[in-house]
Amino acid sequence: MLSPRLLLSVACWTLVSVGSTLAQAPPLAQSIDQAIARDEPRVASLASSPSDDLTFLRRVHLDLVGGLPSADEARAFAADKDSAKRLKLIDRLLASPDHAWHWARVLDAWWMERRPAKNVEAKPWMEWLRDGLAKNRPLDAMVRDILTVDGTDEKTRAAARFVLDRELDTHLLVRDISRLFLGANLQCAQCHDHPRIDDYKQEHYHGLLAYYQRTYLFDDPKLKKKVLAEKAEGEVEFQSVFDKAKKTHKRSPGVPGGMERKDPMLAKDQLYISAPTKEARGVPKHSRRLLLAKDLTEGRALARNFANRFWAQLMGKGIVHPLDQIHGDNPPSHPALLDTLTEGLLAAKYDHKALLRGICASAAYQRGGDAKPGQPKDAEDRLLVARLRPLGPEQMGDALVIATGFMDAERKALGAKATPEALLPKLEGQAAPFVNRLAAPAGNPDQFEARLDQALFLANHGHLQGLLNARAGNLMDTVLKEKDAARAAETLYLTVFTRLPSAEEKAEVARVLGAQDKQGALRDLVWALLGSAEFRFVG
Amino acid sequence: MSASMARYACNSTEHTLSRRGMLGVLGGGVATAACGTGNLLANPLAKQHKRVLMVFLSGGVSQLETWDPKPGASTGGPFRAIPTSAPGVHICELLPHTAMQMHRLALVRGLNTAEDDHGKGHYIMHTGRKQEPSLEYPHIGSVAAKFVAEEENPLPGYLNIVPGGGGGANAADATFLGPKYGSVTISDGRAPENIDRPGGMDPQRDLARHEMRRAADQRFLARRKSAMTEAYTQSYDQALQLMKKKALFDVSTEPAKLSASYGTHDFGRHCVMARRLLEGGAPFVKISHTNYDTHHENFDFHIEQLAEFDRPFATLLEDLHQRGLLSSTLVMVVSEFGRTPGINRNYGRDHWSKAWSVALGGCGIIGGAVSGKTNAQGTVVVDRQVNGGHLFATYLKALGLDPAKKYYVDQRPIPMVDPTGSPISEVLA
Amino acid sequence: MQDKAKPKEAPKPPPPPPESIPGFHLATLKQAAELKNGSPLLACRFSPNGRWLYTSAQDNTIQQWDLTADKDGKIAGKKVDMAGHASWTRAIGFSADNKWLITAGYDGLLLTWPLGVPFPEPVRQAQAHTGWIRGVDCHGERVLTGGNDGRLAIHLLPDLRPGKAWQAHGCHIYQASFSPDGKFILSADLKGRLKVWDGSGQMVREFALSALHKYDAGFGADIGGVRAWSFSPDGASIACSGITNVSNAFAGVGNPLILVANWTTGEMRAELRSKEAFQGTGWGVAWHKAGFILGSAGGNGGMLWAWKDDFKPPAAPLKKDEKKEPTKDPKKPEEKKLEPLNEFVAQKLPDNVRDMALSADGKRLAIAYQGGVARVYTLA
Repeated sequence: MLSPRLLLSVACWTLVSVGSTLAQAPPLAQSIDQAIARDEPRVASLASSPSDDLTFLRRVHLDLVGGLPSADEARAFAADKDSAKRLKLIDRLLASPDHAWHWARVLDAWWMERRPAKNVEAKPWMEWLRDGLAKNRPLDAMVRDILTVDGTDEKTRAAARFVLDRELDTHLLVRDISRLFLGANLQCAQCHDHPRIDDYKQEHYHGLLAYYQRTYLFDDPKLKKKVLAEKAEGEVEFQSVFDKAKKTHKRSPGVPGGMERKDPMLAKDQLYISAPTKEARGVPKHSRRLLLAKDLTEGRALARNFANRFWAQLMGKGIVHPLDQIHGDNPPSHPALLDTLTEGLLAAKYDHKALLRGICASAAYQRGGDAKPGQPKDAEDRLLVARLRPLGPEQMGDALVIATGFMDAERKALGAKATPEALLPKLEGQAAPFVNRLAAPAGNPDQFEARLDQALFLANHGHLQGLLNARAGNLMDTVLKEKDAARAAETLYLTVFTRLPSAEEKAEVARVLGAQDKQGALRDLVWALLGSAEFRFVG
Repeated sequence: MSASMARYACNSTEHTLSRRGMLGVLGGGVATAACGTGNLLANPLAKQHKRVLMVFLSGGVSQLETWDPKPGASTGGPFRAIPTSAPGVHICELLPHTAMQMHRLALVRGLNTAEDDHGKGHYIMHTGRKQEPSLEYPHIGSVAAKFVAEEENPLPGYLNIVPGGGGGANAADATFLGPKYGSVTISDGRAPENIDRPGGMDPQRDLARHEMRRAADQRFLARRKSAMTEAYTQSYDQALQLMKKKALFDVSTEPAKLSASYGTHDFGRHCVMARRLLEGGAPFVKISHTNYDTHHENFDFHIEQLAEFDRPFATLLEDLHQRGLLSSTLVMVVSEFGRTPGINRNYGRDHWSKAWSVALGGCGIIGGAVSGKTNAQGTVVVDRQVNGGHLFATYLKALGLDPAKKYYVDQRPIPMVDPTGSPISEVLA
Repeated sequence: MQDKAKPKEAPKPPPPPPESIPGFHLATLKQAAELKNGSPLLACRFSPNGRWLYTSAQDNTIQQWDLTADKDGKIAGKKVDMAGHASWTRAIGFSADNKWLITAGYDGLLLTWPLGVPFPEPVRQAQAHTGWIRGVDCHGERVLTGGNDGRLAIHLLPDLRPGKAWQAHGCHIYQASFSPDGKFILSADLKGRLKVWDGSGQMVREFALSALHKYDAGFGADIGGVRAWSFSPDGASIACSGITNVSNAFAGVGNPLILVANWTTGEMRAELRSKEAFQGTGWGVAWHKAGFILGSAGGNGGMLWAWKDDFKPPAAPLKKDEKKEPTKDPKKPEEKKLEPLNEFVAQKLPDNVRDMALSADGKRLAIAYQGGVARVYTLA
C-alpha cells in the first residue's frame, strides 16, 4: 500500500508531466491542485486529460474578458509553440482593458443584482468598479468603500450605490450584506433562529442590523441628493416569534462570529460632530455604520465568500453550493480546496488578479471536458472533468455580438478611431437586448433557465437577425467573400465555436455556399450554430 | 353516475350539432348514451383525452375562509357559512359563486401535510412528496404532460400561466421525466412575445434552419451533454410548438358577455386563457392567484382576494362544463398550506398545514363529495386524514392512470406515488 | 471621525420635562379600571354620560361594563355580555339622550339596545348593509351607517325605519359620521377617500388621504382605510388615523399616521407621526378639548402618543414665476409640504391596541386590547 504522501507526490508528478504548460504555474495554481488531490485522492487516475489549446482559449477568454477570441487569434494560439503560452495568455487577458470591463459587470451583477438606479447612476458606479479592477485595487478595499462612503462627496459617491439604491432598507441591507459578502443568507433569522441551520441565529441578523439601525437617508437640501446620515441613538431589540414568553433581547453591532461592539460612554451633549437637523445630516462622534466596514473585512468570512464565488464563476458551481449557504450543515465539496483559495486570497491581500491567475493556471480549471472511462457519475462535481456550464447573460450577449463579427465591422468602420473606449460601449449596446432577456429579474442572482421566451427571442426577434445581415468586415461578409470553401468553413467554426470543423461540417458549409440563395442559406446556418447548445455552453 | 360524469364519445348525432346548440341539451343526460369508443373523430369532444386544470392560490389560503368554515367557534372569525349546490355542504360566505358550483366539486378537508414552509409546502403540493436530498420528484404537471398528453400534441404539455411578467419555473419541474415535460411559462396569460417568425420568413425555411440547429446539437450532444443542454435544446422545439398554436392566444374572439363574467382583472383573464389552452389540447394548465399569506388582517384581505377569485373560477367551471370539457378535465384548487385556526394579535392567521382543505372536481371526481373532517375548532383532523401523497394518488386515479405504477430512473424503480399515500376513494367516481 | 477642536459654545440647557397640559399628565397614565374579558376585544366606546363602557369581542358578543365607582373610588366594572350579532361588531354608537346603544356588525345588521339596563336585549334591528358595517353614528333621531358595500344608509330612531341610502364609495367604507352640528355627513373608505355630504345626500367635497392607503403590488391587495377619526373641539377639522409607509401589507410592516384636515374648507392641516418608528396601525384617535390629540396604535405591541393641536398653517404656495430655490429672503415663504409633527409625549402600552375611546367630559380614556382586557385610564 502506497502511503498517502507518496500517492500525493505521484499524483502531482503525473499532473505536472501530463501538462507541460503547468510547469511554471504560479504557486497558488499548484496549491489548488494539491488541495484537490487531498480532497479527492484518486484525482490523478480519474481525472480527464487536459483540454486542448482551442478549448482552453475559448474558456479563458469568456471567463477573463467576457467575449470570444477571433478566428485569427485562435489560429495564432494553436500554432504558438511556446510552452508557456497558456500562462502568457492568462496574463495578457488580465492586463487588457476588456478584463476590467467584463469583471466590473460580474461584480455589478453580484452586488447590485440588476437593481435599478435610484440615487446613484449606473454609469459612475460601473466606472468606479472598472477603475478599481483596472488598477487592481484589493477587493476588501472596494468592499470597505461600499460600506463607508456616505454619498456626500461627488468624487466617491459612486461606491455608495450598494446602500443608496437599496434605499437604506435596513432589512434588505442585512439580507444582502450577509448573502453577498459573507455567503450566509440570514433572512430567515430575522424573526427566529433559523429552524434548520444552527449557524444562522437571530443575534447574527440583529448584530448586522445594529450597524445600520441609526443610519437614515437624508435628502440633502444643499446637495439636492440623498446621502447617508446617522443619529447617535437607537437600539436594536428583538423577540423570537417562536418564543411564547416573548422575551426581548438587545443586540449591539457585531458580525456573525465576531465581537459585539459596545458604544463608548459619551455625554449627552457630546454625541455629535454635527447634530441632525432639517438642513444638515447627522454625523455622530461614534458611528456604528463605519464600524461595519472594518469588522466585515477583518475576518476570514469575506475572503472565503470571495474564494467560493470566484471559483463558482469560473467553474460553474461553488465549492459551497448554493453560494449563500455557507454554514456547518452545508459542508464544502472540497474543504481543502476552499481553505487553499481562502488562504491564497488573504495572502495575496485580496488581489483578485492573483486569485484569477491561480485558478486559471490550475490543472483543475484546464481540465478537458471529455469523460474518461471509469469516471463516476458525479465526475463534474468532483472536479474530475470540466463542467459544461452555461454562459452568463453578459458572456452570451458579448459572444453573440462578437461571433457575428459586429465588432470587426465596427473596427473597420472606425479605422483609427477604433479605441477600446469607442468600441466597448458599442459592444454593450448591441449585447444589451440579449443580456436583458437572459438576466434574472431585479434583485435576484442570475441563474440559468431554458425559458420559452428566451427561445422565442433568439429564434424570432429582429435583433439577432439584424446582426446576421452582411456588413463590411463582419462574419457573413467574410465568409461570403471567401473563395476557398474549406477556409470558409474553418473561419466560420473558429469564429463561432473556437474549433475546427469536422468533415461533415465542412461539407455542410460547402453545400450552403453553393446554394442558389447563398446569403440566405448562410445566415440560416450561422443562426443555427448560434442557437445550438454548443454556443450556449462552455466547458 | 351523476350527470357530470357523462361521456361524450363516438359519433352519435348529438355531436353534429354546434357546441352552442348542445348547451340547451346538456344536463339532461343526453350524452350518457353508451357508445363504443369506435372512430375518433376530428371533433375534440370525441376524443377521450384528459386534461388538468390546477388553480394555485399562492401564499396559503385560509381553509376557514373557504372550504371548511367554523362560524361560532373561537377560531371561526367573523364570516358565516353558506349552503351550496351540493346538499349538506357549506362553505364560507366569501365564495357565493363557487357555492353554486359545489355540485361539481369535491372537498378534501382532512389534509395534513405537516410542512409550514412556503417552498416545502409548494413542493409537496406539486409533487406529492416531501423533499428528499437524493432525488427530485416531478410535478403533477410534468406527469400529466408525459402520460396524459396526446402523442402528437403540438402544445407544450405543462403550461404555467404566471401572474405578472418575467420567467418562471422551468424544465427542472420535470426532473427525471425530461425537460420536454417541464413547465412553460405563459407570462400574465398573454401571447408570448416573438411568437411570429422573423421578417415574414416562410414556414419551410424556418423548419429548415431549425433542422440545421438540431443537427448541430446532435453532433455536440453526442459527446457533451447535461440536464441543462437538454432543457435548452428542448426550449426551441417548445417554441415551435407554441408558434403553431398562436391562435389560442387571440382572445379578441371571446364573446363579450362571457368575458364580462370572467372579469377584466388579471385572474379573470388568466382563467379565459386557461380555458382556451385546455380547449386547444393543453394537457395541463396551471393558473395562480396571488396572494393569500395573510399574517396581518387575514379577514380584510381574504374578502379582497376571494372576491377576485370567486366569480372567474365559477365562470370557468361553468364554461368548461358548457363546452363539454369538464368531465374530462381534472380540476384542483390548492395552495401551499392552510392558515392557523388561532387568530393572531393583528387579526391574522399564520401558516398551518396540520388540518386544511383542498377542492377537486371534474374528471374522475364525484361532485358534492366530502372526504375528511376537522374538529370544532379546526385544529386537528378527526376523520380520514390524508397527505400530499394521497392527493397525488387521487389525481392519477382520476385521470385513469395507475397510482401503483413505478418510474424507472437509471433502472431504479421509483413509485409514482409516495408509499404512504393512496387514492381517496370517497371523492373518486 | 476626527475630534476637532470645537469653538466655545454656551452650555446647552437641560431638555425640558415632558410637557403637561393643565389637567392632563400623559406621562403618568393612571389606570382607573382593568376590565377582563374572555375573548379578545375589538372595539370600545363610552356612553355619552360616561357611566358605561361598551366593548365588542371576537366571540360576536358586546360587553356592557358599569363604571360606577364605589365609596373608595374603585371601579368594580361589573360586566354583562350581550348577544345579538351573528358576527363581529366594531361600530358602536349611542343616541345623545343616553337612551339607546346602537351597534352595527359585520353581519350587516344594525341593532338598538336600551342603554345601561341590567339585562340588555336588542330592541330593533335593520339589515342595513350587505357585508360588514364599519362605521356608525347618531345625531338626533338619525342613525348613519357605512359598510363594505360602499353604501351610506340612514335609519331613524326609535324603530330604525329606513331613511335615505345611497352608493357613496366604490370600495369598503371604514368611517361614517355626522358633523358635530348634524348638518353634514362625512365618510371615508379603504383607499383613503374622505367625502363630505350635505343633508340631501349630495357630495360637497372630497379629499384624497392617499398616505393612508397603499396597493401592495407584491401581494396584490389594498391596505389602508381610516381606522379611527375624531372631530376637533370646534367641529371644523377631523383627525384621521390609519397606517402608512406600508412595505409589507401581509406582515403589517408599516407605521401609524394621523392626518388632520379642515373638512369645511378642504385644507390639509397636519400630519402627525411618532418620533420613534412603531410598526403597526393607528387604531385610535381622540381630539381632546384641552388642546391635544391622542393617538394609539397596535401591531408590534401598543403605544399611545399625544400631539399638540396648535399646528401652524402651511406656508402659502409659491407664485408661478418664483423660483424653487432655497431663498434667503425670509419674507418670501417657500412652498412646503406638510411637515410631519412629532408627539410631545409617548407611552408604551402593555398589549396590542385594538381600539381607543375618550369620554365626553374628556376625563377618561379607554383602550380595548387584543388580549381581552379593556383598561380605563384617568386623564387628570
